[in-house]
Amino acid sequence: MCGLCGLLGTEGDWSNSIASALPARQQRFTRIALANRILSFFRLRLEDFQGVSYVLTSPTGHREIVADFGQIWGVAETMTGRPIDPLDPALLAWLSSAPQ
Amino acid sequence: MMTISFDLIALNVITGFLGSGKTTLLRNLLASDFGNETAVLINEFGEVGIDHLLVGEIAPDTVLLKSGCVCCSIRGELKDSLVQLFSRRQKGEVPKFCRVILETTGLADPAPIFATILADPMLRHHFRLGVIVTVVDAFNAALHERLHPEWTAQVAAADRLVLTKRDLVTDQTGEALQKHLQRINPAALVLIGTEVKPQDPLLLTAGLHDSGPEREAERWIQNLRSRPQHESDNRGAPSDDTHSTHSRINSFCLVFDHQINWTAFGLWLSMLLNRHGQNVLRVKGILNIAGADYPVAIHGVQHLVHPPVHLPRWPDADRQSRIVFIVDGIDQETVEESFRTFCEYLK
Repeated sequence: MCGLCGLLGTEGDWSNSIASALPARQQRFTRIALANRILSFFRLRLEDFQGVSYVLTSPTGHREIVADFGQIWGVAETMTGRPIDPLDPALLAWLSSAPQ
Repeated sequence: MMTISFDLIALNVITGFLGSGKTTLLRNLLASDFGNETAVLINEFGEVGIDHLLVGEIAPDTVLLKSGCVCCSIRGELKDSLVQLFSRRQKGEVPKFCRVILETTGLADPAPIFATILADPMLRHHFRLGVIVTVVDAFNAALHERLHPEWTAQVAAADRLVLTKRDLVTDQTGEALQKHLQRINPAALVLIGTEVKPQDPLLLTAGLHDSGPEREAERWIQNLRSRPQHESDNRGAPSDDTHSTHSRINSFCLVFDHQINWTAFGLWLSMLLNRHGQNVLRVKGILNIAGADYPVAIHGVQHLVHPPVHLPRWPDADRQSRIVFIVDGIDQETVEESFRTFCEYLK
């Protein structure tokens, strides 16, 4: 466990394995904030769960626990019944126009 | 942070089409000094393990996987074989090998092998992926490519392409094939089978996860720089070489001058691979990450991405990020626009 952040170990996802100057907790919240910018296009919201996993919530109140970042997009597709596609022009247009 | 320790046992893969010369290469490797520290797993296609007998004379530690291709259906078998081999090593029943070579059948797609190592909580703490060698039969390459989609997957997944039976084709055909292979997989090193010495470190021991990853990264950069940014090899397009097919396989290299936000990049690539992983045969790149003094090398196969590697230095003053994609039916402009949008608006 990280004594400063209180995080138990780390998730096995490849995108979480780059050394960063940010404390682990802050890095985690930064990733969640950026992911939420994308997920809000699909009316989903991602939250931290005790520093060990994540909770994905749909507008109908459906909630799913997600173990690591690598699984978020697959779970989001199941919850929405839509493809979560970064090549989708509508998503790209929305990202470009949404306030940062 | 997840890290790769260099004392993990390397799992090298030798793949290639039936009759391309995988077993010959393996026998040469095992007959050299290199064989002393190597255990071998052979995935035999068919009831009688003929290849196993051939290799068995040289390396008694050979374990024969029981059936068929190294694909999803026998991942469990691959895992069990590796666990068993590791257990025997720890008990002292076999010498302390530091490398395992897996020879796959001609029809195997290499991606599930990576999945087995990366996803298994036990294996990933004892094994790491080493260099992937694909043996290409120069004489039959055009035929294999036309008839079997696995051929392209094997070429795309390779870190080293060993060209065999080069003497059976004309110089012109051999050179055209070499260029064609480099267009499909620009980051792989092409070696001529007859010129490869078994003990040559370039063949198996100089990969990105071996000691000295910067030298491998420099080879990537060199290969990628020699390829213009907007040149893509669409093999569906008309061509006068004998290797063009109706496949939609395409490779292209994206080049970026600005530093890349790692978090945005991670989100983008994980989304891309989640949705299009089946069609992204390979992604390899050297990235200039914001806030980092040194480059980061990434590489992935289909849905899977290896743990990124921090390199100790840039090879020269050029600080551009380069990412090469080998894809099926996805065009460069779409990927580039998507990536630029994510980088620009996700900060």
